[in-house]
Amino acid sequence: MLNILLWVGLLLPLTASATSSGFKRLLDAVVKIDVREVSFEGGTKRFGSGIGSGVILSKDGLILTNAHVVSPEAVEINVTLASLERVGATLVGWDHWTDLALIRLDMDEIKKRKLSFATAKLGNSDKLQPGQTVFAVGTPYGLTRTVTRGIVSNARRHFEDSRGVRGYETGAFNTWLQTDAAINPGNSGGPLATENGKVVGINSRGYLGADNLAFAIPSKVARQIIGALVADGEITRSYVGIVPGVLQDLEGFYELAQNTGMLIKSVDTGSPAAQAGLRGGDILLSIDGEKVDGRFPEQLPEIQNQIASRPVGEELKLEIFRNGSSLYKSVKTEKLISRVGEEEAFEEWGLSVRKVSRTYAREHQLEKSDGMVVIGVRPGYPAAVSGLTRGDIILKINRQDVTSLEIAKEQHDAYAVAPSSVLVETSRNHRVSLYVFKP
Amino acid sequence: MTRRSLVLIVFTLTALISRGGSALADMWQDRVKTVVAVEFFTETELDRRSTNTFGVVIDDMGTIIFPSQAIGARISPKQLEDFRIYFPGEPTTQEYSATYLGRDEFTGWEFIRVDEEAARARLVPITAYEEAPEPIVTEEIWGLGLKKKTEDFLPYFMSSRVSVLQSLPQRTAIAAQEVSGLGLPVYDQEGRFVGLSIGGFGRSFLQYTARIRGGVPVVLVNPDESAVVILAQEILPYLNRIPTNIEGRPIVWLGTNGLQPLDPVVARYLELENQAGLVISEILEDSPAEKMGLLARDVILSLDGDPLPVLKPDHVVITYFQREMSRRNPGDKVVLGILRDTERQQIEVVLEDAPLTPREAERRYFDSLGMTIREFTYIDGVQRRLDVADHHGVIAHFVKANAPASTAGLLTDDLIDEIDGVKVASYEEAAAILEGIAQDKERGEFVLLVKRAGDTAVLRVKLK
Repeated sequence: MLNILLWVGLLLPLTASATSSGFKRLLDAVVKIDVREVSFEGGTKRFGSGIGSGVILSKDGLILTNAHVVSPEAVEINVTLASLERVGATLVGWDHWTDLALIRLDMDEIKKRKLSFATAKLGNSDKLQPGQTVFAVGTPYGLTRTVTRGIVSNARRHFEDSRGVRGYETGAFNTWLQTDAAINPGNSGGPLATENGKVVGINSRGYLGADNLAFAIPSKVARQIIGALVADGEITRSYVGIVPGVLQDLEGFYELAQNTGMLIKSVDTGSPAAQAGLRGGDILLSIDGEKVDGRFPEQLPEIQNQIASRPVGEELKLEIFRNGSSLYKSVKTEKLISRVGEEEAFEEWGLSVRKVSRTYAREHQLEKSDGMVVIGVRPGYPAAVSGLTRGDIILKINRQDVTSLEIAKEQHDAYAVAPSSVLVETSRNHRVSLYVFKP
Repeated sequence: MTRRSLVLIVFTLTALISRGGSALADMWQDRVKTVVAVEFFTETELDRRSTNTFGVVIDDMGTIIFPSQAIGARISPKQLEDFRIYFPGEPTTQEYSATYLGRDEFTGWEFIRVDEEAARARLVPITAYEEAPEPIVTEEIWGLGLKKKTEDFLPYFMSSRVSVLQSLPQRTAIAAQEVSGLGLPVYDQEGRFVGLSIGGFGRSFLQYTARIRGGVPVVLVNPDESAVVILAQEILPYLNRIPTNIEGRPIVWLGTNGLQPLDPVVARYLELENQAGLVISEILEDSPAEKMGLLARDVILSLDGDPLPVLKPDHVVITYFQREMSRRNPGDKVVLGILRDTERQQIEVVLEDAPLTPREAERRYFDSLGMTIREFTYIDGVQRRLDVADHHGVIAHFVKANAPASTAGLLTDDLIDEIDGVKVASYEEAAAILEGIAQDKERGEFVLLVKRAGDTAVLRVKLK
C-alpha cells in the first residue's frame, strides 16, 4: 500500500497539469454561446437553437468560435462569460472552409453593466509535437466550463468534407490538429490549449462513435482568418477548378522525379482549369515556377491554399506533366463560390429553396446558373400540392425568369397580398415540367 | 361380340367422353398450336448466353413474334444467333431452327421465321381464330403458360376474369390474376382471340421482418406470366409489320426530347379543357423538329388537327404521342399544334429516318486490352450533353473486369476522346490504333483520354 502511494506520489509532478496562471486566464476567457437561428427547410422558416463554445481574444470583445456554431443564419447570439453574466453578441464574419466564425460582444452593454472578462492568447500551432499534452475547454452537452485533457495525436491531419459545415464544403485549404482530448457536442468552438493557456486550436469535430478521435483548427489558420474577417467580414479565395489527388505510390507509374508533383484527379466542368485545357490525370508540377509536392494527403491543403490565396482574376502559370512531357498552361483565377447558394422559405407556398450557384450549375451541367433548387416543401401547402418535390429547379415563376431570389420574393409577396394561381416552370434532370400553385 | 367390334366400341366411347368433357378442353388442345417456346443465343465478349422466351405464331409462313424485352437494350442484332423453336410439351431434344427478322419499333415485337416447312406446317396462326369483341369487366378469359425448358415447355391452362379495361394508350384488359404466359395469347369462352399478354405490372407489397418492423416496400414481378392483355384490335392490324431488315429500319424521328405531360391543374390554368399537352424539354440538334422551328418549352397540343387525348395516368400521353409518331414513315408530314408562351401556332414537320442508334453501331472487342469500343452515335452525344455537331470519339461499350483497361480506371460508357494523344476522328481510326496496340507485343502501356459525366480524365493503361 505504501509502495503504491509512493509510486503515485512520484508520478504526479511528471504529469502535465494545467494550473498555471496562463491557464487560469484562459479559463476566464472561455465562453458558452447560445445561438437562436433560422432554417429554411420543409417549406417554412423554423427557429432552432444551438449551444457551442468560444474564446475571447481581444479587449474589444472579439470571440473566436466555429462556423458550424454561429453562421449568418443566427438571429440571436448570447454569450455567457466566465463571470456567469450573459451578454449579446453579433456576427463579424464566418468561413465554412476553415469552420471558423468571429463574433463580437455587445461592448456598449459590457460598459453599461460594468462587466469584465479575460482574453486568451493564441499560441503557435506549428510548434506542436505529436504526444504533447493539450487541454480542451468548452461546453460539452451544455456542461459549462468542462476541461478535458489529451495529447496531440497528429499535428497535420487532412480532413476534407464536401458538406461538413451546415452542408457547406470544409477542410480543403487547411490541415487539422488531431487530439484524443474528449470532444463532445457543445465543445465546438472552444479552445484547444497548452498547459500554459496558449490557444493552439479551435475544437471543431470528432468522429461519432470512435474513441477520442477529435479535430481542431490550428491557431496558425485562425490567425489568418481573424485578420481577414475583421478587415472585410468575409474571406475571398481564388478558384481554378482543380480537384487534387495524392500521387502517393504513383510516381513510378507516371515516371516522375521523386518527391514532386500533385495528381489532378479531375477538373471541374466549365472551370478556368477546364477552359485552359487541364484534365484529370494530369500532374501539376509547379505553380508560377514554384515546385509542388503533393504526394500525401496532408500536403494537399497547402497546395490548394497556395492557389486560393492568390488574388481573384490573376493569371497563374501551371506546369503540367502529361504523356511523358511537360507543358505550360495559363489559368485565370476566379472567385471561389460555395456549391450552397442563399436559402429562403416562401411560407405562403410552403416552399424552401436554395439559389442555384455557379458551382452547383456546373456540377449539374446546367446551361445557366439561373433558378433555385427546391430543398423542401410543406405538406398540404400549394407547392407540395402542385407536385413539386425536393431537387426540382424552379426556372420561371409566372413566365418570369428566376435570375435572383428577389424575383421570387416579389412574386411571393404579391401572392401573399392577393392569392391567385401561379404558373411555375421547373427542370429536373433536364426535363422541363409545369406546375400551378393554387391558393 | 367379335374382337373387332369390341375395339370399335371402346373407340367410340372415348370419343364421346372427350367431346362431352368440355368444349374448352378441345379449344385448349387446338390453341396450344399457336404458341411455341423460342430459344436464342447472345454472343458477348466473354460468353454465349441462351435466352428462353415464348412466341406466338402470326401467319402461315411460320412467322413468330415475341416481346422485345427478351433482348437486352445494349445488345446488337448482330450478337444474336441460333434462333430455334420448341413445340410445347415435346422433348426438347427436337428443336427447329428459325431466322431472326428484326424488331418493329412501333409494336415492340421481335420477329422470327421458322426455317423448316415440316415445322411450319404444324403451327397454327392466331389469325385462324375469330377476333373477340372487347371483353367486358367480369368476363372470364383464359390462356396458357409454358413451363421451363427442363419440363419440356409443358403447356398449362390459366384463367381469370377481366378486372378493368384501360387505354394505356393501347386498349388493355387487366385480369384479376395472371391469365397467360408472357407474350402469349388470351381467348374468351368461345375460343375467340382476345389479345396478347405483353409485359405486366409489378405488384407492390410491404415486407415485414423481425428486424424491419415498419415494413419495406417490395415489388414482386412474375417474369413468366402476365395479367395484362393488349386487346386484339391493337394487334391484328399490325401483324403485317414484319421487318425487312434486322435493324428494324426505318425508325421515324422527330427530335423532341424529354416530353413531359401537363397535369390537369396546369392544363386548366392554360385553358386547355378536355385535352392533354406535352412540354418539350429539349429540341435535338439537326433534327426535323429543329429545322421546322420547334423550340424547347413549346407545349404540344395537337397532332394533325386532333387534340392530344386525356389519358390516365397523365404520362400515358407521352407513349400515345410517341406511338403516333412511330406508326408514321420518314418523309411524312405532321402538323403539330403548339402553345408558345401564350400564343398558339401550327408547325408542319417532315419526319426523317433516325440517326444511327447504339444498337446498330459498329463494335469491336480487344481481348488483350479488355475492352470493347463502339462507334459514337447521335444519341451518345445527346445523353452526354455534348455538341453533337463536333462529335467524335468512341464509346467504351464493355470493360472486362481485372483486365488492363479496367485496372487503369476505364468504365463502361466512357467516351474515349484520344488514344495515345491522338484525337479520335472516327471509329475506324480508333479501331486501327487499338489493333496496332493490341498487336504490338513490345508495348508497355498506352494512354486514353476519356470523358465521363462532364469530367475528363487521362488513363494510363499498363499492358505489362
